[in-house]
Amino acid sequence: MGKGARDHTARERIKAQREAERKQEQRRRVATIATVGVVALAAIGAGWWYAASRSAPETIAQSLAPVTVQADGTAVMAKPGVTKPVVDVYEDFQCPACRQLELTTGSTLKNLAAEGKVKVVFHPITIFPEQLNNGITRGNSVRAGAALRCVSDGGQWLALHDKLFKEQPSEGTEGFKLPDIVAWGKDVGVTSPDFESCVTSQKHLQAHLDYGAKVKIGATPTLKLDGKEVDNPVAFDPAALRELVTNAGK
Amino acid sequence: MSPPSLRVRSAIPWVTVAARLGLAGVMIVAGWLKIETPALSVEAVRAYELLPESLATAVGYGLPILEIVIGVLLVVGLLTRISGIISALLMLAFVVGIASAWARGLRIDCGCFGTGGALEAWEEPDYLGTILRDIGLVILGVWIAWFPPGRFALDSALGLTPSRADGVEEENEEDEEKV
Repeated sequence: MGKGARDHTARERIKAQREAERKQEQRRRVATIATVGVVALAAIGAGWWYAASRSAPETIAQSLAPVTVQADGTAVMAKPGVTKPVVDVYEDFQCPACRQLELTTGSTLKNLAAEGKVKVVFHPITIFPEQLNNGITRGNSVRAGAALRCVSDGGQWLALHDKLFKEQPSEGTEGFKLPDIVAWGKDVGVTSPDFESCVTSQKHLQAHLDYGAKVKIGATPTLKLDGKEVDNPVAFDPAALRELVTNAGK
Repeated sequence: MSPPSLRVRSAIPWVTVAARLGLAGVMIVAGWLKIETPALSVEAVRAYELLPESLATAVGYGLPILEIVIGVLLVVGLLTRISGIISALLMLAFVVGIASAWARGLRIDCGCFGTGGALEAWEEPDYLGTILRDIGLVILGVWIAWFPPGRFALDSALGLTPSRADGVEEENEEDEEKV
C-alpha cells in the first residue's frame, strides 16, 4: 500500500468518524428541541384547559328563587326571608362584557339565590352616552331597559332579562327593535295584557334613564357584594364568586 | 473583513437580546393581565367580530397562556427562532385585526392588555397608535427570527444552534487545511 493510499484510508476513517459524531450531535439536538417543544405545547394546553374550566358556568340545578320586581325597576331574586348577603348587579343589555358576565356567572348567582345563600338585586341601566356611534348603542340599550320595565311578574321579568342578553346585537348596529322585543316577550311567556303597547310606546323610557342617572355607576358590569365592588377576576369566575358570596354569608 | 462591519456583526447578538427582552416583556405583561379573567379575554376576541363564536372562545382562552409561554421562551432564549417567528405572526395578526376593526368602524379597545375589548364610555380608541406599536413588535420578532439566538441564550448553552454561519465556516476552514 502506497503512502497516498494509506493517507486516503486514514482520511476516509476520520471523515466517517466525524460524520458519525455529527449525526449523533444532530440526534441530540433534535431530541432537545423536541422535548422543549413538547413541554411548551403542554404548558399552553394546560393553561388553555385551566382558563376554560375556570370560566365554565354552573348548570342551574334547581328551580329558581322567587323574583320580585321593585317599584324602582330593579328586581330582587331571593328565597323568602333571605336578606343578606346582597349582591347588586349593575348591567346594560347592550354591553358585551355584561352579556359575558351573564353567560359566565349568571347561573352561579341563580343557584346561590335558590340555595338561600344570597339576595341578588338586578339593576338594568344604560351606560352608553349619546355621542357614541351616533347614539345607536345607547338607543339599543334604552329600548331594552325601558321594555323590561313593562314586565311586572318576577319570573317573566327574569326570563325576558336573560332573553335580552341572549339576543344582544352588535354595538354598532341598530338592534333591540321594539317589535322584536315584543315577540321575545311572548316567546318567554310574558302575559301582561298591556305589554305590547307599553314596549311600543316606550312608556318607561324616562324612568329607566332617571334610574341610571341616580345610581351613578361608572362602568358595566359592576358587581357589588354588600356594597363593595367585586373585582373582575372573581366576578367572572364561577367558583371564586361562589366562595366569596358563601363566605360573606357565614 | 473591514473593522466597521466586524463591529456591526458583533453588535447583532446584543440587538437580538434587547429585542428578545423587549418583545418578551410586552407579551408576558399582556398575557398576565388577560389570564386572570379568561371570560373577558374571550369577550375581547369576540369584540373584533372576526371569528365565529366557538373559535373566538378557544382563542380567548388560549391567547394569554400562548403569549406568556412564548414570552418566557424569548427571555431565556430557547427555541429562539421559532419563538421569534410565532411572535411576529401573532403581532401581525393583531395588526390585521385592529386595522379591520378600524376599517369596519367598530369602536373597541384592542383588548391587548386585558380590558375585555370594551371601552369606557368616554374613551376613544387609538387604532393608529396600537397598529404602530404592534408593527414595531412585528419588526422585533422578525429580527429575532433572522438573527437568533443573541447573547445569554439557552439555545447556545444547549448547543441547539447549528450556527449556520459559524458551522459552515469551520468546515470550510478544515477542508481548506486538508487540501
